[in-house]
Amino acid sequence: MAFIKLNDLEIEVEDGTNIVEAAKQHGIEVPHYCYHPGLSRPANCRMCLIETYAPPPGAPPGTPAVPGRQLATGCTTSVRSAPPERKLDEKYDAIVQTDSPRVIKAREDILEFLLVHHPLDCPVCDQAGECDLQDFSYRHGHDKSRYIEVKNVPPKKDLGPDVLLYSTRCIVCTRCIRFCDEVSGSGELGLINRGSHDEIDIPRSHEGTPIQLLDNKLAGNVVDICPVGALISKDFLFKSRPWFMEKANSICSGCSVGCNVTVEYKTDGLYRIKPRFHADINQHWMCDDGRLGYHYVNSDDRLQLPLKKIGGEQTTTQWSDALTLITEKLSEVEADDIVVIGSAQGTNEDNYVLQQFAHDVLKTTQLGLFGQQPGEEHKFPQFTIEADKNPNTAGARTILGSANGNVVLEGDTLWEKVAGAKVVYLVSGVPDRALEDTEREALEKVEFLIVQDVLPSEVTELADVVLPGTTFAEKDGTFTNSTGWVQRIRKAIDPPGEAQVDWEITQQLAKQLDGEIDYHFAGEIANAIAENVEGYGDATHQNIGNTGIKLA
Amino acid sequence: MVQEKRILYEHLDVPNINTFDVYRQHEGYTRFEKAIAEYQPDDITKMVMDSGLKGRGGAGFSTGLKWSFVPKDIEPRYLCCNADESEPGTFSNRYVLEKNPHLLIEGILICCYAMGIETTYVYIRGEFTLGKKMLDAALKEAYERGYLGENVHGTGLNINIYTHPGAGAYICGEETGLIESLEGKRGQPRNKPPFPAVEGVFMKPTVVQNVETLCNLPFIVGNGVEWYTQMGPTYGDGRFDPPKPDPNTGTKLYCISGDVNEPGVYELELGLTCTELIEVAGGLRGEEVKAVIPGGSSAPILTHYELDTRLDFTSLTLAKSMLGSGGIIVMNETRNIVDCLLNIMKFYAHESCGQCTPCRWGTPWVRDIVQRIADGDGRQTTITRPKFGVTESGRWGNTGETEEIYEDLDLLESVANNIANVDTMTWNTICVFGIAVSWPAVSYMRKFRPEFEAAIRESKLVTLPVAEATVPPEENYAYQQRFIPKEFSELQETTED
Repeated sequence: MAFIKLNDLEIEVEDGTNIVEAAKQHGIEVPHYCYHPGLSRPANCRMCLIETYAPPPGAPPGTPAVPGRQLATGCTTSVRSAPPERKLDEKYDAIVQTDSPRVIKAREDILEFLLVHHPLDCPVCDQAGECDLQDFSYRHGHDKSRYIEVKNVPPKKDLGPDVLLYSTRCIVCTRCIRFCDEVSGSGELGLINRGSHDEIDIPRSHEGTPIQLLDNKLAGNVVDICPVGALISKDFLFKSRPWFMEKANSICSGCSVGCNVTVEYKTDGLYRIKPRFHADINQHWMCDDGRLGYHYVNSDDRLQLPLKKIGGEQTTTQWSDALTLITEKLSEVEADDIVVIGSAQGTNEDNYVLQQFAHDVLKTTQLGLFGQQPGEEHKFPQFTIEADKNPNTAGARTILGSANGNVVLEGDTLWEKVAGAKVVYLVSGVPDRALEDTEREALEKVEFLIVQDVLPSEVTELADVVLPGTTFAEKDGTFTNSTGWVQRIRKAIDPPGEAQVDWEITQQLAKQLDGEIDYHFAGEIANAIAENVEGYGDATHQNIGNTGIKLA
Repeated sequence: MVQEKRILYEHLDVPNINTFDVYRQHEGYTRFEKAIAEYQPDDITKMVMDSGLKGRGGAGFSTGLKWSFVPKDIEPRYLCCNADESEPGTFSNRYVLEKNPHLLIEGILICCYAMGIETTYVYIRGEFTLGKKMLDAALKEAYERGYLGENVHGTGLNINIYTHPGAGAYICGEETGLIESLEGKRGQPRNKPPFPAVEGVFMKPTVVQNVETLCNLPFIVGNGVEWYTQMGPTYGDGRFDPPKPDPNTGTKLYCISGDVNEPGVYELELGLTCTELIEVAGGLRGEEVKAVIPGGSSAPILTHYELDTRLDFTSLTLAKSMLGSGGIIVMNETRNIVDCLLNIMKFYAHESCGQCTPCRWGTPWVRDIVQRIADGDGRQTTITRPKFGVTESGRWGNTGETEEIYEDLDLLESVANNIANVDTMTWNTICVFGIAVSWPAVSYMRKFRPEFEAAIRESKLVTLPVAEATVPPEENYAYQQRFIPKEFSELQETTED
């Protein structure tokens, strides 16, 4: 640990911490643009200038430290504990001033330079409201411009499938270039021209036609890390002002990595998903599949009412009707003729209640696991997208099998059982799930198929009763990722129509069959899981918290 | 009359000195052979340190000191020869490359031997096509004769030299910009520290030296430290006695251009005055000297009051200017300083690499302001200082005096100082390009303010007579601060007393 004096504070920070981070930990803002904790530090924006102290050159030991002649950049100034003879003022490892008159003046000057060619088009800029240039100008800048010359107007550019570049707003911090070089390793972006004509661009032919587009699977991150409104997501362009959206901390449901995300929403649906920092899982990043994969939540086709099949046609019905129909059917058949299938898209809580329902109420041991078909794995220098496209395969597998000797039916064995069953209760929740021939044939043979899903699909077409369930954005719960992190998702929006949270549907069915399942909120189920499921002992509702908990 | 003292340029005009055989006849490679035969590598480093040789590229940093920073336990180490001579007004390296490339090779060999370096990169300015051709031919000969390659001259040393042409960027003359460019990246300077001596080319310890510095090495080794230190202003005799002992030894290749009768490169001992130098270059063309740029276009300008300034590293630093690369540009009374500044600012605005904020957007801004002044669109405001009393009309009112404010001159000074502050010598930029921009901008404006004011007042460029255009010494801050070496006559007077 290094003991440093930061302004008037005496603080301890980890060795190797830079001043921007050290100050941030103690609530002091050191404005910066080019510095990003996940990228290299070129120190080119010169915004984080600070005053560092050192003994005057050639002075005898014990001389009080004085401010250095030059200001230093906070992002490249790291502190570490010094040997006793090199302590400043006999006790500090570093003395740093982030609010001295020189620093304040330097910030003003840099901001003035940053704004000379900036179009100041905040009223039509997507970034307004979450723009570092805007914020720091308010806090640290001049109120007036002295620039009366002509401004540079570089062209607007289409960089790739989801990224637009408004070059005029660019402050050339090169975060995006470094991201493509260091994290995605694809290196599509670079600087063209020189000096004040610097522009970010993709490789182009002499005529200007793109040679390589910014279309790697992590491209969306450059929009997040752009401190100004230069890189803009086409998906979010002109959709909403950031301050009109509410935010919920959640977990991406796109694959088993379990990226921490912030879901931004209004009452009418989701607007965008942004990555949230988690040191051990996704750092600062997420992939575009997850980022842009939320649209099904907002879909107009979402199942809103239960459906029942009358004479081969599915028609909407009421919940009471659908539940009665199901319970009647379930009580008619033997326990061995029932197969209950949980979902790898569902939360641990959904699957736990389902498991309890199957085990305690239906007394069946035939529990299966259903999920999205595997996709491709993508590896980047600092990021991996996994092939398993379900967020909770690990959790669902453990929890469904917890009371059953860890036996969960999957793959061909599952579909063999399904083909021989009379009633199948399938919780899907998988958007766009195409059925393979064996799966379809098996499901077609089922006498009475109950499907709980979010969107009409090939699976729901075959169902005798369809129950409208919910997506990750509409419920609370936890996911267990492929490396054993149990993390919490939070409800952002209300389910469409009369759709209900999956475990609540299961619980209602259980109640109709006189089962004793009575939970009131997801945390209660999480505690029940912690109590009853092997390995989940630490994963209580209280312990999971914001950062999640890694299973032993 | 001062005579040229030709050391580096001694054999420059010998026909075919660029070929190995002719060079060999003129003591070629004997100094390198002497170095290997008589000295250990550490002895040579010590000799260079004792000689007081300062880097001739611009910063004037002690070469021996720079070598001492190189960690000896990290392999490989590199030598990088900076032949990207692009400071306006400088053209001395070019002659060495084009006429006597073997001298450079010999200097590189001595440096490589002293530092235990096996690989040298010569980064040549892209425009020096002839220079590169001549150097490549000389390298080929040296390889053939066994002075380069494996087991150099039977000593067991392996030394290879590679030439690399630049692509025409001024900033690649900055040592870390040069290294980035050499590595195949965009020519943008690195943050320091770490300095190249610790982490340079391919993140290995690297010595970056100018052509002229390396060309001095054979003569230091060949003729000895004592011989070398005799050249240049002798300090300690009271005549040249700067506040801090700071050796200025050897000769300098002064590139004299502008309004002189015989412009060109003159090799002279360090420590001559501007006046003497103009004499060497055939005298002034025109009536009187208006200004002298002492060290390439980025150096602060000297007025005709400051012509007694000695052109060596220490004296010019003390005169708030710099020797830089030794590119001396003389201007006579017909030159308009606003126009000169515009010319220089156009160059710097074009050459800013655009990496860091102040320089990227500050340099074009400074250029635009000067352009506006030169176009006659400079802004001027009349303000009235409030003072209340009985006005002419007999009423109580403001009787304050009016004052002319040259808004654009204040803006010019402020913007230039925000890139790099010339008064405190602090800069917010990554490299010293920032100060190279604000130095001329601020010094021209301060020292020739009447001419700038005239351009704004009369909405056109006005060339004033020298005496009127120059700010008198008593108002010239830099002039007040400068250090004036004592003349011999004064010295004698004081000793007599």
